[in-house]
Amino acid sequence: MSRTVILGAGISGHTAATRLRQRLGAEHDVIVVTPNARWNWIPSNIWVGVGRMTTDDVTFDLAPVYQKLGITYVQAKGTSIHPEGDVTHAQPYVEVEHTSRERMGQVERIPYDYLVNATGPKLNFGAVPGLGPDGHSLSVCTASHATEAARALEETIARMRAGERQVLVIGTSHGTCTCEGAAFEYVFNVEHEIRQRGLRHMAEIYYLSNEHELGDFGVAGLHMEVGGFVTHSKSWAESLYTERGIHWILQAHVERVEPNVVQYETLDGEHHTLRFDFAMLLPPFGGVGLKSFDRTGADTTPTLFAPNGFMRVDADYTAKPFEQWAPGDWPSTYQSPHFDNIFAVGIAFAPPHQISKPFKSPNGTVITPSPPRTGMPSGIMGRTVANTIADRILNGSGAPNHLASMATMGAACVASAGSGLLSGTAAAMTMYPIIPDYARFPGTGRDLRFTFGEIGLGAHWIKRLLHHAFLWKAKGKLGWQLIPE
Amino acid sequence: MTIPATNTEAAPPAPYSAESFIPVPTARTRAMRTFIPWQLWRFVVINLRMLRMIAKSHD
Repeated sequence: MSRTVILGAGISGHTAATRLRQRLGAEHDVIVVTPNARWNWIPSNIWVGVGRMTTDDVTFDLAPVYQKLGITYVQAKGTSIHPEGDVTHAQPYVEVEHTSRERMGQVERIPYDYLVNATGPKLNFGAVPGLGPDGHSLSVCTASHATEAARALEETIARMRAGERQVLVIGTSHGTCTCEGAAFEYVFNVEHEIRQRGLRHMAEIYYLSNEHELGDFGVAGLHMEVGGFVTHSKSWAESLYTERGIHWILQAHVERVEPNVVQYETLDGEHHTLRFDFAMLLPPFGGVGLKSFDRTGADTTPTLFAPNGFMRVDADYTAKPFEQWAPGDWPSTYQSPHFDNIFAVGIAFAPPHQISKPFKSPNGTVITPSPPRTGMPSGIMGRTVANTIADRILNGSGAPNHLASMATMGAACVASAGSGLLSGTAAAMTMYPIIPDYARFPGTGRDLRFTFGEIGLGAHWIKRLLHHAFLWKAKGKLGWQLIPE
Repeated sequence: MTIPATNTEAAPPAPYSAESFIPVPTARTRAMRTFIPWQLWRFVVINLRMLRMIAKSHD
């Protein structure tokens, strides 16, 4: 009998738990520790943020699903890892703090044989003064944030209807933010909603981003074949923003958000202000603050975790310039270099460096997207680690690791550009590999046979299809195993 | 009411403005983005291309 503890139930943690349960008999425990009572299909929060969906459309209760699947569910947040146990017991354990109403604040030790850190990000609104729902801007990072954004958008639209011209600012905040794709989706969905109400002439819409060029998306953009040319997503994105009349401000690091004013620095070192009536600015991500301790109780957090709070895995963390970055820098097993029974997947693992080329302003401000590692890559990592652990439990600790490097996997992304069964559009994009390999694919870094982008209603239907398919899968309904990550 | 998938209310870019040098879709291209028969076909094609890439990623 073995016990695997998974911290977090986002896409990577939930995938790891369900795939592990699928492979292991009932005599083996699979335990998920997550502070949330409900699972959230985050990609559809964009539609909650414009009032096209409700919180109930994108979330469901975890407890009955885990009960059905035979997974033990603990509503708590992991606070510390003790990979060597303590002075009295050598059994590794995690310490968790309960978050359910019944057990709020209670601390519990959960021993483990294998540990998967899938804790996702801390939404670090504190990195920018005045940022976030507790400050002066909005967010769509959680379903409740998105609901609040939808309410604010309705109020903004009501003011337009009353004859007040409105300025909307949507994008990223801190210079090191990630998830530019989500900001892209939200700005186009907001524009679409306003246009559908016949009020487009009353809105001035800005996209504010830390990207060096439009279409970077934190992955250095992508090249694709269009009309007999190999073009970069910059051209493609600029075309779409121009067509929809959305202004863009790039290479920006938001320094402060005040009531109706955003202050930002650009890569040239200049400082600017922009007045707004509605602002949705994504926060930077950080690790959730997990600590680790050795057998004597000494703090080993700096050994297991990078300074940003993400867990070190089998990546090459040697500091080197962009020109020396290589696909081999990226991890493939997601195993801790210090403990072979600890893994970190999804956003929780520490990337070796950015994917986009890093830039710094003359003031020393880093303005470069952090690498996205959500969605499809997260799911694949979760499944890969689940297979590694299952093999070891079933075949012995010498079983080889399964591999899934972002340098050898592709990603599909369908970015909504407006909702509606007959009027919606979305940008469907795939790329292979996620990490550009300029040695294998000179000039583009990607295999153009597997890299493309297309805008249209058909892509919107795919986005809707994915919404239903992944919720079906996450709920463990009939045939869920057949839906790929 | 079917809303066109483009912002027809946006003013055309001024000559020699940065926006005036950016390629924008023609009316036909814009119309095809929401033309149901064509989009049904593209729905199939995009799905197949994505499945091909997913298969490659799961090698």
